Amino acid sequence: MFLKRWFSIFFLAIPVWVMAQKPAANLAADLPAGAMQAKATTACTECHEARILLQQRLSKAAWAKEVDKMTKWGAVVDPADRDALIDYFSANFGPDKPPYQPQHTSGGKGAK
Amino acid sequence: MTSRREFLERISAAALFTAGTARALSWALPVPALPALPQSQAVPVPGEDGMLLRSYRFVDLETPVEDFNSWLTPVPHFFVRNHMHEPVELDAHEWRLSVGGEVEKPLTLGLSDLAKLETHEVVNTLECAGNGRGFYRPQVPGVQWGRGAVSTARFSGPRMRDVLDRAGVKSSGKHVMFRGLDEVPGKVPPFIRSIPIEKALDGDTLIATHMNGRPLTKHHGFPARALTPGWVGSASCKWLTEIKVLETEFAGTFMNPGYRFPNQPVKPGEAVKAEDTHPLTALNVKSVISGPGDGSNLKIGKVRVHGAAWAGEADIAKVEISTDKGATWNPTKLGHEQEHYAWRLWSYDWNPTQSGEYALMSRATDTRDRVQPMTAEWNPSGYLYNAVDQVRVHVS
Repeated sequence: MFLKRWFSIFFLAIPVWVMAQKPAANLAADLPAGAMQAKATTACTECHEARILLQQRLSKAAWAKEVDKMTKWGAVVDPADRDALIDYFSANFGPDKPPYQPQHTSGGKGAK
Repeated sequence: MTSRREFLERISAAALFTAGTARALSWALPVPALPALPQSQAVPVPGEDGMLLRSYRFVDLETPVEDFNSWLTPVPHFFVRNHMHEPVELDAHEWRLSVGGEVEKPLTLGLSDLAKLETHEVVNTLECAGNGRGFYRPQVPGVQWGRGAVSTARFSGPRMRDVLDRAGVKSSGKHVMFRGLDEVPGKVPPFIRSIPIEKALDGDTLIATHMNGRPLTKHHGFPARALTPGWVGSASCKWLTEIKVLETEFAGTFMNPGYRFPNQPVKPGEAVKAEDTHPLTALNVKSVISGPGDGSNLKIGKVRVHGAAWAGEADIAKVEISTDKGATWNPTKLGHEQEHYAWRLWSYDWNPTQSGEYALMSRATDTRDRVQPMTAEWNPSGYLYNAVDQVRVHVS
């Protein structure tokens, strides 16, 4: 009984402890709503988070080059989705959009 | 000068912390998804307070220019540029640095081997090649840095030359390649670059283990990084694990087409062929106004305008301020702290006597007579932005 109780405490404590240790991976920003949101999220955020995209202000031609480069670098993009993806990025992150305002960090405890 | 014992003690303490944290993460259980943060909310990044978050994954943090008020940048305020994921497993005791390629005697060194070599210090202003990319028009892809992908620290560690001399560089060795331990996602090419042998053998090029007197933190390349002073930040490979002497420049994505600059000025937006470019090396001449901040409301009377200026492998000769849209320029007072590869802080006491809107501009000149231009030279990757800096203020 005693052991069982301690085992329970131990295993319950692990996830709590791990959550406290892990730099929260989900402090991520989201890509904007749209028909390609889910596919863009899958294709891009496997390797990097959405903020990298949110801060770009690129022409459609530049977006096409980026999508092709990233596909070569491992982004999973169905060829049938390529053009729609480029349209999605161009519509949301074109040169006409207002400047991106980055968030600040709060340090919290510990040095990294 | 740091004694060997102090060096090892400091490294061991840092190793304990870093290795412990890394292991904790490496077996981490799945973490329940948290809601995404509102855009206005600060994002917790341990040890990195008040930085501008360009990216959380990979970690890319920009130093706010208001922090350019100390000659040495405190490590928690030192900008962070990662191309890949930081290594999860870092153990100072297990870490090894291999030295091979065009050498007589390939080496494998641990931190204790490095500690036996003479320690050398270099105060260096490290700037990301893409600092200021966000100001180019038309915009180009990449991290959209503002003015703060630049910081200054006192780096220390053995000279790279001493390590290369122990290995014995063959006469065929013309370039030196660095490989780090960063973790490469997908099919992304590894972040490997090289520098010419002359720069690697320069007495100020280091295998840095310390920054501002403390062991490197993980964000800055623990346990050792290359430190190629005066050059773009990408020449200072973090989490260094391999040095390889090559006959030719390393052939890889981050040497070509990456990190290259057009041989001739190009029209903004124009494509440039790879053969018409050269690899980036030393930094440009540049100054930045760190205060007053852009959009400040000031009172008539004395205003201290201040900032920092740097010039890569050259020294700053002067920094001037204009308060009349560049019609006239006034000398600033340069700070007394100076080292060859480090920025100079500067200040100017301005006395506006009339209310109105003003544009304050700063312009640096270096000892090679390079002058900060009014317009930076546009290039397809947005490197080396160094236009005259400008802040707008309202005086009443």
